[in-house]
Amino acid sequence: MATLALPLRPSFTQRVTAWFARSEGDAPWRTVMLFMTPALAVYALFTAYPVFRTLWNSFHTIKPGNIEAFVGWDNYTRLFTSDPVFYTAVTNTLIWAFVAPFLDVLVGLVLALALYAGVRGTRFFRVAWFTPVLISYVVVAIMWMWIYNYDWGAVNVLLRAVGLSSWTRAWLGTPDTALPALIITHAWKWAGFNMVVCLAALHALPKEVLEAAELDNCGWWAKVAHVIVPMIKPTLLNLVILSFIGKMKIFDLVWIMTRGGPLWSTETVSTYVYKRAFEWNTFDLGYPSAVAVVWFAVVIGCVLLLSWAFRQRDRLEY
Amino acid sequence: MSYRIHRGIALLAPLFAVLMFALPVRAQQVVTVWSHWADQESKVKFVEEAARRFEAKNPGTQVKITWYQKNPLFQALQSALRAGQGPDVFYMDPDRVEYVENKLILPLNDHLNWNNIEPWARGPWTHAGQTYALPLEVQTIELYYNKEQMKKLGVTIPADGRLNQTQFLDLVKKATAAGVTPVVQGVADRDFPGAYLLHEMLLKKLGEDDYGKLMNGKLSFKDKRVVDVFTYMKQLIDAGVYPKSFSSMTLGESHPYFYSKPGGLMLPMGSWYTSRAFNAPEKGGQPDNFPLGIMQFPVPDGAACPQCKTNGVAGSFVINAATKQPKLAAAFLNEMATPEMGTKWLVENLVQTGVKSDPNAVKGKHAEYFKELAARNADVKYFTGIPITHMRGQCLDTYKQVMNTGFPAGLLPVDRAISMMDAACYKA
Repeated sequence: MATLALPLRPSFTQRVTAWFARSEGDAPWRTVMLFMTPALAVYALFTAYPVFRTLWNSFHTIKPGNIEAFVGWDNYTRLFTSDPVFYTAVTNTLIWAFVAPFLDVLVGLVLALALYAGVRGTRFFRVAWFTPVLISYVVVAIMWMWIYNYDWGAVNVLLRAVGLSSWTRAWLGTPDTALPALIITHAWKWAGFNMVVCLAALHALPKEVLEAAELDNCGWWAKVAHVIVPMIKPTLLNLVILSFIGKMKIFDLVWIMTRGGPLWSTETVSTYVYKRAFEWNTFDLGYPSAVAVVWFAVVIGCVLLLSWAFRQRDRLEY
Repeated sequence: MSYRIHRGIALLAPLFAVLMFALPVRAQQVVTVWSHWADQESKVKFVEEAARRFEAKNPGTQVKITWYQKNPLFQALQSALRAGQGPDVFYMDPDRVEYVENKLILPLNDHLNWNNIEPWARGPWTHAGQTYALPLEVQTIELYYNKEQMKKLGVTIPADGRLNQTQFLDLVKKATAAGVTPVVQGVADRDFPGAYLLHEMLLKKLGEDDYGKLMNGKLSFKDKRVVDVFTYMKQLIDAGVYPKSFSSMTLGESHPYFYSKPGGLMLPMGSWYTSRAFNAPEKGGQPDNFPLGIMQFPVPDGAACPQCKTNGVAGSFVINAATKQPKLAAAFLNEMATPEMGTKWLVENLVQTGVKSDPNAVKGKHAEYFKELAARNADVKYFTGIPITHMRGQCLDTYKQVMNTGFPAGLLPVDRAISMMDAACYKA
């Protein structure tokens, strides 16, 4: 008697695999979503949700114990009409953000050119100049507070040693010098990062173009100014924009070294948000959230403006 | 699975059940404490002694203390308490009224043995009839000085310890001329010490009532008496009263600056000065034979209250309103609030306390210091609370930048400092 061969039922694993393999068009979207879900979940929880929550908070007065009172545009009205410290913080942050990136990138480029030119001890200098990038902000801040100390800091000791005692000052205690002192400290920390990126861009340059310039009797500085820098301009501009974004959010260094003083001369928007949130003898998070939302919009706007201003108009061909 | 494995599991399962349910398993109760004073050895010893005594009286209970510096402590508390978490007990200063207003700490009227606490120490922590903390540390604002340095300058401090403003300015000029920092102070990490000299003179000039009004926004900073004090203070600043590193020196650094490196003439400080200064020299304390003296703050001309001085409750302990074991937490606080522990605090820290204590118990090499401290406070009228205890919001932030930092550092002229303080604080 013939036996009827019934088709074997696929196992659970086979059914799941088949479901993910089934696709519409070319891309296996179900598989893609499966792998992207954890990262999206982390992004939603730790990036997207805080942003939207801050926006929500800015229209409320927030107190501990989930106490919320809707205040409409009150926080924003107070911010724009009766908060002089906010405008001081904005001014300081914009000075920092528009001056410091060029200093950072320029120093990084100079160091990269020095290494590219093959100075003696290249390996040592590469490590030495990159080391500050690896040091935490806290250590950098404490170190530079010692360097700037009026009585025994390296800067003033050096000035006294060379007979320039009249130039000594409390670098972090004087409104005129506090912000520049912080900018220099920050530039010192990040010069190595910019150096490494510029060095990579320099090494990626086509040798034929540089050799052609040498054949045309192009001196070193002319080669740098007319050949090398134009060719690595996209890299430099990207570094400027990255540095700009970083400066617009600067907090750690300022908080440890000066806490926004003296007389708000180093107050940045981030330190001001922190003070309003945690040092204002209230627990209200609504007003500082409004400051944060306004600044978020300002940063986005500035980045778009910079990207448009620095866009590549002519494509370099080589 | 094989028969042997099944048999093994069948034999072991009852054994596990016996171990889990038959043997008594005692869960240890833990009282968590977050405290300031991480680098103040004598206070750490005191609190840990209280913890050991509490644990001995309450078997099965452990006190777990985390030590912080002040600013990091408040940052940690802000985050934890907003989330409804945090320790059972924590250190708190009485100027942090937002913790009371937001009901984050427990009222302690029914929890502490108030018979063991000085009645006057409850004031700064009492709001709407409820007291919210154990006022462990009490301070008076003192003007410490180096007796030998003062002698070298040829200045004799009067018996009552008070110099008038002319004498004080003269002293400052003499010290500067001799290359000695007249008044050592650092404001890099604290929001109050830079204004000690200024607010003590304001208190003496205005008297308690009007000074209280000034602090609470009911008296204008443009009042002539206030302007006179600011103007005199500017003379001191121009004469070099503070070190150049005033803005960048931390409070902890100002202590060794005063007594040894490089040494200064005077140091305005809360009377908790001793909790750092009386540590061993290798741990940042003053040298054993340091000629420490205590004088009064200078008396401005036409002062309404020459004998006025600021006191206040400083380091206190509170109970988290969200704690699940308030009785246990209160029992730990009560362990610190006994006359025996109050006297122990006094003897080991040489700082006043709000807990009842016996000052005669202070003996040994620091007994003379305590006698001098008591003598300097014998004829004094107290105003309770330094300015940060009374000021709030924008007024407080402006005070920190102007009266604590900018003006004493010589960064602001008198009229600018006055107008900034008035705009921020005066509620016309």
